[in-house]
Amino acid sequence: MSAYETQGFKLDNSGKRVVVDPVCRIEGHLRVEVNLDENNVIQNAVSTGTMWRGLEVILKGRDPRDAWAFTERICGVCTGTHALTSVRAVEDALNIQIPENAHLIRNIMQLNLYVHDHLVHFYHLHALDWVDVVSALKADPKKTSELAQSISSWPLSSPGYFRDIQNRLKKFVESGQLGPFMNGYWGSPAYKLPPEANLMAVTHYLEALDFQKEIVKVHTIFGGKNPHPNWLVGGVPCAINLEGTGAVGAVNMERLNLVKHVIDQAAEFVEKVYLPDLLAIASFYKGWGYGGGLSSQAMLSYGDIPDKANDYSAGNLLLPRGAIINGKLDEIHPVDLKDPEQIQEFVTHSWYKYPDESKGLHPFDGITEPNFVLGKNTRGSKTRIEAFDEGGKYSWLKAPRWRGHAMEVGCLPRMVMAYLQPQRYPMIKDTIDRALKQLDLPLTALFSTLGRTAARGIETLYCARLQQDMFGRLMANLKAGDLNTANIEKWEPSTWPKEARGVGFTEAPRGALGHWIKIKDSKIDNYQCVVPTTWNGSPRDPKGQIGAFEASLLGTPLAKADEPLEILRTLHSFDPCLACSTH
Amino acid sequence: MLSQQDMLEAERHGRQVRSIYVYEAPVRLWHWINAAAMVVLAVTGYFIGLPPPSVPGEAVDNFLLGYIRFAHFAAGYVFAIGLLARVYWACVGNHHARQIFMLPVTNRAWWSEVLFELRWYLFLEKHPKKYVGHNPMAQLMMFFFFTLLAFGMVITGFALYSEGAGQGSWSDTLFGWVLPLLGGSMQTHSWHRLGMWIMMSFVLVHVYAAIREDIMSRQSLISTMVSGWRMFKD
Amino acid sequence: MTETFYDVLRRQGITRRSFLKFCSLTATSLGLGSAAAPRIAHALETKPRTPVLWLHGLECTCCSESFIRSAHPLTKDVVLSMLSLDYDDTLMAAAGHQAEAIIEEVKKKYKGQYIVAVEGNPPLNEDGMFCIQGGRPFIDKLKETCADAKAIISWGSCASYGCVQAAKPNPTRATPVHKVISGKPIINVPGCPPIAEVMTGVVTYMLTFDRVPELDRQGRPKMFYGQRIHDKCYRRGHFDAGQFAEAWDDEGARKGYCLYKMGCKGPTTYNACSSMRWNGGVSWPVQSGHGCIGCSEDGFWDKGSFYDRVTDIKQFGVESNADKVGGTVAAVTGAAIAAHAAVTALARARSKNETNGE
Ligand code: HEM
Ligand code: HEM
Ligand code: NFV
Ligand code: SF4
Ligand code: SF4
Ligand code: F3S
Ligand SMILES: [Mg+2]
Repeated sequence: MSAYETQGFKLDNSGKRVVVDPVCRIEGHLRVEVNLDENNVIQNAVSTGTMWRGLEVILKGRDPRDAWAFTERICGVCTGTHALTSVRAVEDALNIQIPENAHLIRNIMQLNLYVHDHLVHFYHLHALDWVDVVSALKADPKKTSELAQSISSWPLSSPGYFRDIQNRLKKFVESGQLGPFMNGYWGSPAYKLPPEANLMAVTHYLEALDFQKEIVKVHTIFGGKNPHPNWLVGGVPCAINLEGTGAVGAVNMERLNLVKHVIDQAAEFVEKVYLPDLLAIASFYKGWGYGGGLSSQAMLSYGDIPDKANDYSAGNLLLPRGAIINGKLDEIHPVDLKDPEQIQEFVTHSWYKYPDESKGLHPFDGITEPNFVLGKNTRGSKTRIEAFDEGGKYSWLKAPRWRGHAMEVGCLPRMVMAYLQPQRYPMIKDTIDRALKQLDLPLTALFSTLGRTAARGIETLYCARLQQDMFGRLMANLKAGDLNTANIEKWEPSTWPKEARGVGFTEAPRGALGHWIKIKDSKIDNYQCVVPTTWNGSPRDPKGQIGAFEASLLGTPLAKADEPLEILRTLHSFDPCLACSTH
Repeated sequence: MLSQQDMLEAERHGRQVRSIYVYEAPVRLWHWINAAAMVVLAVTGYFIGLPPPSVPGEAVDNFLLGYIRFAHFAAGYVFAIGLLARVYWACVGNHHARQIFMLPVTNRAWWSEVLFELRWYLFLEKHPKKYVGHNPMAQLMMFFFFTLLAFGMVITGFALYSEGAGQGSWSDTLFGWVLPLLGGSMQTHSWHRLGMWIMMSFVLVHVYAAIREDIMSRQSLISTMVSGWRMFKD
Repeated sequence: MTETFYDVLRRQGITRRSFLKFCSLTATSLGLGSAAAPRIAHALETKPRTPVLWLHGLECTCCSESFIRSAHPLTKDVVLSMLSLDYDDTLMAAAGHQAEAIIEEVKKKYKGQYIVAVEGNPPLNEDGMFCIQGGRPFIDKLKETCADAKAIISWGSCASYGCVQAAKPNPTRATPVHKVISGKPIINVPGCPPIAEVMTGVVTYMLTFDRVPELDRQGRPKMFYGQRIHDKCYRRGHFDAGQFAEAWDDEGARKGYCLYKMGCKGPTTYNACSSMRWNGGVSWPVQSGHGCIGCSEDGFWDKGSFYDRVTDIKQFGVESNADKVGGTVAAVTGAAIAAHAAVTALARARSKNETNGE
């Protein structure tokens, strides 16, 4: 393969090939190879998911009620979202209705995950792409304090506070043992923040590290632990007992107070630390408009957070559902997860085997059979690969397509689709407008690396607030006397039909997530997951169409050919999760 | 005391020898204590795995599973100590006392007796044979489904017991290694429980055979286990 | 200026006096005599933080996520002051060859002195290419990195036992660390994931006392894995009383009765959950109404449904448990006996008739 055009992008793999493996600060194992032209501009990008565990194979023959625990272990970062997707799939197959309390608690847990996952992503997986830790040593703590106070009323902002942190950092750096900051790209011309902004951001990196562990306590209360809280087909496992004997140990007033305390704190942290930091950092990178990739033309969301219980139709979802193709923002297509024509997975360039690889398979009929073969132009040997051949199979990810289109999924599609429906999602539209105004950028600026990162922050605020609403509704429902948390009518497999199939979906933090289950004789007959990072990190399909990761890197100039800072920046803006993507 | 030779002799001349002292008192005593312990073990063990419906009232006023488990462990000790005592008696007692611990596997005649008994139980033989000690078939069954299994139950039982007794306890020192070997605590439970079912199947067959032979084989069986004397009816 | 172990102790509020006392105690306990105390003190005062190389194989990163939940010590203090987390793909700034260079550097500079922490495990099928790093199978990276290590920590059930990817049929042949690495102390810290403070507790123990914690037969630190969930469960009173939740959200569930009948694996699971609890002591699985699924036990995925009390025995296939197999054996035996008794009675009646007819 030399040069060709697809989806409006020009691909040319003739230039110098640069390999980044591992791509760090993500979950799982990702490799990316790019070709640079003489100006160090990326002309071709090849992204490879380099791990596979075979969860879909392992699930066959198991008890469908256990599937949530297996699929939850697909990922400990977006922990719980696969579990929720799984119990929804089983409930869809068996036609189980969950009680109102279970519905509200599940929503709270899912919203809680967004807040936690996005916050950790921003500070711990993404910030170092924009923030120069070493430069923070040069900052004036007093000016840092002024900067911090000018953008937020967050109380931890005195000069002394920043000075303490700076001193600690100094000592750390001077020790010569840089730990996780070793061999970073410090001092690169690609970093644009002044020292004070760097110091503020590094300080919040540490503060967020302390704080994130508080957020998840909501999972701990309802699910017993985090990561990997417990879930239940038919409801939630935590019983509610507000005043009776034995209330200690069930969900009681003290537990509810703790939930409220945590979610209020989380909302405050997002509002006063995360969002102001995001906008402050963004204001220094406004000129760096790369990384849009597929986002301006093809976006997909399944939607999530049902308003009324047990209603998964688009009109009932507080995060929007829909598909945008060909860049037509004025037309949001309906999405049907059961329609065999809509979602299909291809494996022409993936390490799997289909009877006929020119066709895609709908997940109900999906096949997962590993087949590790390399293209004939691969450089190196089987166990020492120097460069993959993107003309052959080159990734453990399958290639999902929606009506044949490669799609971007995630916060950006969700926020854009909400923005386009202001009557239904007024708060989102409002927040986006305010952010754009503050940065003095047009809506189209969202279709970029920075836009993706901004969308995540905006969504976090929305979810933090929605979490508070859901908690209010939970209290109201308890007040009305409803204590039910589980529907056990169909708990026993003897009550199930001989065969059934269902689909469960969520918007995982990273985007559209679906599980398709077929049950036969009370056992799992087939189980297929199509995961957000499978969409975004997808390899090519039979038509040569590229996925969102590959598209987003094209046209990006690198400040230094041997330092992948810009590549990391754009890839990180998706918050890749490779363990999820291949499962 | 009858030697192997004498025994065959006695069998052949059953008519002449009307009664022989077979099971010494310790064996008889052990048999019935052991039988009682096993009934307790099986019943309590069953309920340890699948407890009866919840009891009403305050937790402090009840100790149902506590008692069930206590009874199991107490009977477990009786069972284990009894087994040890029985091993001792196998060393010092008469040769019948050794039968359930050792199979004369090299003895062709013994094997043909096993086959004969098998045919008898399959209604292929018209007339039963008489034995002073255990009939060879019973001996075979007892060796595998009682003796070996009993050791298995003691080993797995005390391995499980060591979990509660704690690391460093004698049961942990002696039997703790069993848990990882069998694939963990849960797996050990499962094997122990399966052992219970197999034991109980043996007991069913054993009791049936004892009663049946008592009636059919024209020699005393049950009373032998009581008095120690084998009586031949004709 | 290097931030040393001594600096760390000082920051944690330990005075110079008690530091020196610690040194002389150490000297005596090592049989070196009190003369050696100043040398030990000097060593600690100038000793660099122990480098930790944190590798990721086939895993879900929940162990890393759990690690950063540590409340005491705070993760930031562990990372900034107690050890030197020189390599960890999930947190490190560098990527690609800049990242891989660190492993080489640490191996050279700290030969025999660094700790390898492994999250996840290597797959062995397909020449290891189910987990590729730097174009090579993870198993190679694991072996090379461990070669010069002082000790290895196997984080979580993945590294310790195999965990979910090793569940039947284990398509990638995911293999626990201790089965592919030998000749080094390996500390198994199972759990899916382990509790945050157990993780930081194990690490800080090793740094503070400069030794591997006492391990049990399965290579787990006794201090955290010495007892079962059930031994310290606050619902144990209901278990002993015979009071159980019989169905989800029933009266018993709301009263906090024992979850044994809902499949709780607390009686067969070694972990610290019931006493240390999770996420800063907020709760733990049983307290939140779901039984323990036994996530720190070897092969806990393959013992039948999480909701069964009497669980499957692998050797009989996925479908069978002791009651099904054993119950069938007993029932068949019973039926055979009944049939046998009937035939016996018939035969006897016939032979009586024959005798009578004579
Ligand atoms: C014929 C002999 C025995 C039989 C039939 C028997 C039967 C059983 C059964 C059915 C169980 C329940 C297993 C489960 O479902 O998890 C059990 C558990 C147990 N048995 Fe035995 N057992 C025998 C001997 C022993 C002995 C000698 C000991 C030694 C003390 C012992 C100690 C235990 C212990 C500690 C448990 C676990 C209790 C618990 O989990 O609370 N057993 N036994
Ligand atoms: C849990 C219940 C029982 C167990 C585990 C058991 C076990 C045994 C064992 C191991 C022996 C061999 C004794 C030896 O050689 O040391 C034996 C012999 C014998 N048992 Fe039992 N027994 C049980 C119940 C009974 C009952 C209820 C009866 C009576 C109906 C009975 C009748 C006999 C007889 C007659 C013998 C002697 C058999 C012979 O002479 O070949 N047993 N039993
Ligand atoms: N991709 C992905 Fe996940 C998410 N969000 C889930 O489905 O991260 Ni681990
Ligand atoms: S042990 Fe469990 S939690 Fe940890 S990485 Fe493995 S699957 Fe994830
Ligand atoms: S809830 Fe589980 S751990 Fe607690 S007492 Fe009951 S069986 Fe044991
Ligand atoms: S499921 Fe795991 S988290 Fe603890 S209570 Fe059981 S060991
Ligand atoms: Mg899939």
